[in-house]
Amino acid sequence: MPIRRIAMVLVLVSCVGGASVLLGQTGEKSGESSAGKAAPAPKRDLSGVWIMKNGPGGEGPGGEMPPMTPWAQAKYDANKPGYGPKAAPGGNDPILQCDPTGMPRILFFITPFEFATIRGRTVQFFERDHAWREIWTDGRKLPDDPDPSWYGYAIGRWEGDYTFVVDSKGFNDKTWLGAQGQPHSEDMTMQERYHRVDYNTIELNITINDPTAYTKTWNVALRILKREPHTEIPQYYCVWSEENAFTQRIRTPAAAPKK
Amino acid sequence: MRLIAAIAAFYLLMLGTPAALAHHGNSAYDEKNPITLKGTVTEFDFVNPHSQIYLDVKDDKGNVVHWAIESQSPGIMVKNDWTRHTLKPGDEITITLIPAKNGSPVGFSGASIGKVVLPDGKVMTMQKR
Repeated sequence: MPIRRIAMVLVLVSCVGGASVLLGQTGEKSGESSAGKAAPAPKRDLSGVWIMKNGPGGEGPGGEMPPMTPWAQAKYDANKPGYGPKAAPGGNDPILQCDPTGMPRILFFITPFEFATIRGRTVQFFERDHAWREIWTDGRKLPDDPDPSWYGYAIGRWEGDYTFVVDSKGFNDKTWLGAQGQPHSEDMTMQERYHRVDYNTIELNITINDPTAYTKTWNVALRILKREPHTEIPQYYCVWSEENAFTQRIRTPAAAPKK
Repeated sequence: MRLIAAIAAFYLLMLGTPAALAHHGNSAYDEKNPITLKGTVTEFDFVNPHSQIYLDVKDDKGNVVHWAIESQSPGIMVKNDWTRHTLKPGDEITITLIPAKNGSPVGFSGASIGKVVLPDGKVMTMQKR
């Protein structure tokens, strides 16, 4: 009977349709279509494990560093990186004693982070320091005078469906902006713009304003974050005893002046 | 488009290598002159910030030199099929590293230059990120 046949066809079609919807919704795939191109960006969704690819600035902010104030210049000259082009024996990089890496430096680190959404917040969970940075998305404004902290105070909102904008302030001045020893003050405010280009790619633009340290806005060079499928953030803590042992047994002997 | 992507990928790969070496204090290690040592593992630490291999190496006079060699973090090592059991005290290995410029028995075996040959002949590297 034709009606039965039509019904069978309808059932079959909806089964196939349902199956492809299901497959489309299992997010933990490689994000690639059969043609090898990345799947399109999901709307208002940054979830996943992300890693910053190498780019201008390396393990710190790239783009043109604005002129420093005398206050900042003195700090920059006193900062002695433990590694990188400015490295010196006996470096005083605070992360060598496991001080928190801070913002934005932790973004430039060679280890990944995970974006997750929980009540009222989007959270970045960093492998480095096993640190959890909250970005409040409940519509609140930034506080007028937050107590300075290692990771600052951040609020976030969507602009359109593919760009997540984070505004932050309230940072203490004990961290470096990057591995090269760039300083900042407690007056720093920052904006990060996470633009999800496709399923596997985020373009990150960072703007730093810190009139106490820099005479102009620092428009940090664009960096790319790539999604790492099937990755779990390992349990990594910076541990003072392990850092110190490493310094005693490797860093100091390697950096000692030639006899 | 594919050609541009390939060129970009090549460029980024080239950027990646010196940055990884720079991370380890390029002022300390002689990255232009890697060496290969043969010796006996006395300690293998699979820890952050860097895994470490401590190696007793006999010099040509028969004296034992105690080498301290840093490699990558466990997070990177596991991507290259290392585990905390890959080396143990007593293992006879061959290792390629860049030594400290000041002549001390310290070095770095990792990034694109690192290589260890295990007692059974298996070759281990550390460059995948």
